[in-house]
Amino acid sequence: MAQRTAEDRKRMWRAVDVALAVVLTVGGVGYAVYAIVGRWGLDQGYIGDRWLDYVFAAWVSLYVTTIAFVIGLVIGFFFGWIRATRSVPLGKIMRDAKKVADAQGLDHVPFPATQIIWHGFKYIVRRFGDAFVAVIRGTPLFVQIVFVWSVLLIRVPTLNPLVLASIAGLIALTANTGGYQSEIFRAGLQTVHSGQVEAARALGLSKFQAMRHIILPQAIRLVIPPLTNEYIGLLKASSLLIVIGIEELTGFGRREAFDFFKVFESFALVTAIYLLLTVPLSRVIAYVERRLRIPGLGIQEVTAPRAPRAAT
Amino acid sequence: MIRVVGVHKTFGPLHVLRGITLEVPKGEALVIIGPSGSGKSTLLRCINLLVEPDAGSVFIDGVHVNRPEVSAEWVRQQVGMVFQSFNLFTHLTALQNVMLGPVRVKGMEQEAARVKAKQLLARVGLAAKAEAYPAELSGGQQQRVAIARALAMDPKAMLFDEPTSALDPEYIREVLDVMTALAREGMTMIVVTHEMGFASNVASRIVFIDAGIVLEEGHPNQIFGNPQQERTRTFVSKILR
Ligand SMILES: Nc1ncnc2c1ncn2[C@@H]1O[C@H](COP(=O)(O)OP(=O)(O)O)[C@@H](O)[C@H]1O
Ligand SMILES: [Mg+2]
Repeated sequence: MAQRTAEDRKRMWRAVDVALAVVLTVGGVGYAVYAIVGRWGLDQGYIGDRWLDYVFAAWVSLYVTTIAFVIGLVIGFFFGWIRATRSVPLGKIMRDAKKVADAQGLDHVPFPATQIIWHGFKYIVRRFGDAFVAVIRGTPLFVQIVFVWSVLLIRVPTLNPLVLASIAGLIALTANTGGYQSEIFRAGLQTVHSGQVEAARALGLSKFQAMRHIILPQAIRLVIPPLTNEYIGLLKASSLLIVIGIEELTGFGRREAFDFFKVFESFALVTAIYLLLTVPLSRVIAYVERRLRIPGLGIQEVTAPRAPRAAT
Repeated sequence: MIRVVGVHKTFGPLHVLRGITLEVPKGEALVIIGPSGSGKSTLLRCINLLVEPDAGSVFIDGVHVNRPEVSAEWVRQQVGMVFQSFNLFTHLTALQNVMLGPVRVKGMEQEAARVKAKQLLARVGLAAKAEAYPAELSGGQQQRVAIARALAMDPKAMLFDEPTSALDPEYIREVLDVMTALAREGMTMIVVTHEMGFASNVASRIVFIDAGIVLEEGHPNQIFGNPQQERTRTFVSKILR
């Protein structure tokens, strides 16, 4: 009975592994802090007084990021979906119209206006989406923020500068994340195996039902990890809003650091808050992912390009 | 039950079906053989309109189905299809796979669909695997669930596209047994397969397709024992080894 099973041993080693990781991380960070600020020490009075202001600044970061991310989800899904579908050539539309006319015994072919408008609309959205994604991914977020801000500044110079900066920041972040999310959704939808759709259609499901009951449930599992990365990336990237004067967490920390000469205290708080936001989020999503994982199936990955946003 | 008349299909420059005509009376099983790339899959997919024929007609139970005013969804409910690669929905259990069609397409109540799906899984010998996901099943088990899923729509006929050629040899028997039982119960079926034992036992006729045309057709004994065409003879001798 005292015999340890392989399962027990595995669990023990996992515990040792986690403990080691914690010790090394805490020890490493602790030593680094000591090496850098040991001579001065952290001013705990300052931290005690001001930490709530930092939390408020973090609230701004979180707020902007979340709004941009949610609107970006709509933009990203729309463009991702249309960009994942194939074009229908004009020739095929005309041929189909002729077939219908022949079958009904008409001697002239009615012009297939609705078909052409619908497929033409999808074609334009697809091409526009491609261009949009190319621009968003091909230019720095920094440039996008400054660009939107400059345009607004020239177009509506009478606006309150803070309101103007907020709108500009929100537009730039939303457009940016919308572009990246469109790639994530496109890759996710295209990764669902074509045989799955075919089997659904063979059962008599409509295109819409196949999307709703087969493609989406599988695609959602595929896009959750890259979307989480996108949210965390966006949260960090929102610190770039400092260039147009929006004081979110990083911007606020920087001003505090230099106004009161509390560099270490400020960065300790900023770092701690970012970690407090991102680490639990990653954990929660990892849990959701485990819950949604399909038994027996290995981990499937979407190869969505998630280019890191270069800081300025 | 199923009648195909002069069906043509091209993919770009490729003329895959070049005037196929064949007929399957109610309750009979037709086996199609032919070299890879000869258009067998394309023919089956023309019958349930997964592929739209360029010319020619497909009749199911007397209804001319490849006409614009006939809904493809309706046609596909009349004819079940089983694929070489199973194509079970990976995010659903075996039971949910079988229930999906009746619930979503036919609007059947969940409970009624569940009872029906359980009966069908029992019929293919998988009552115990109802809660398993496809990735937890062997190839043979997956293909039997796929057959149950197609049967759940109460089709008038069934199409099988090389249902055993993706299977490890030890699982082929169990799938063929299910198909044989189905044929004995009077299901109208078209089966693309190179399993000669199954073809001889179950098929009322064999059709040999080569390069998009029906080169020869006849009783299994004739096609396997005494083929008239030179190409049929070489092909049959190859698959009989
Ligand atoms: N959707 C498609 N688009 C283009 N070519 C296709 C398509 N489907 C099948 N083909 C081609 O048609 C030919 C016949 O294919 P198929 O019907 O699958 O043959 P078989 O099932 O007899 O092996 C092949 O050359 C194949 O590459
Ligand atoms: Mg084939």
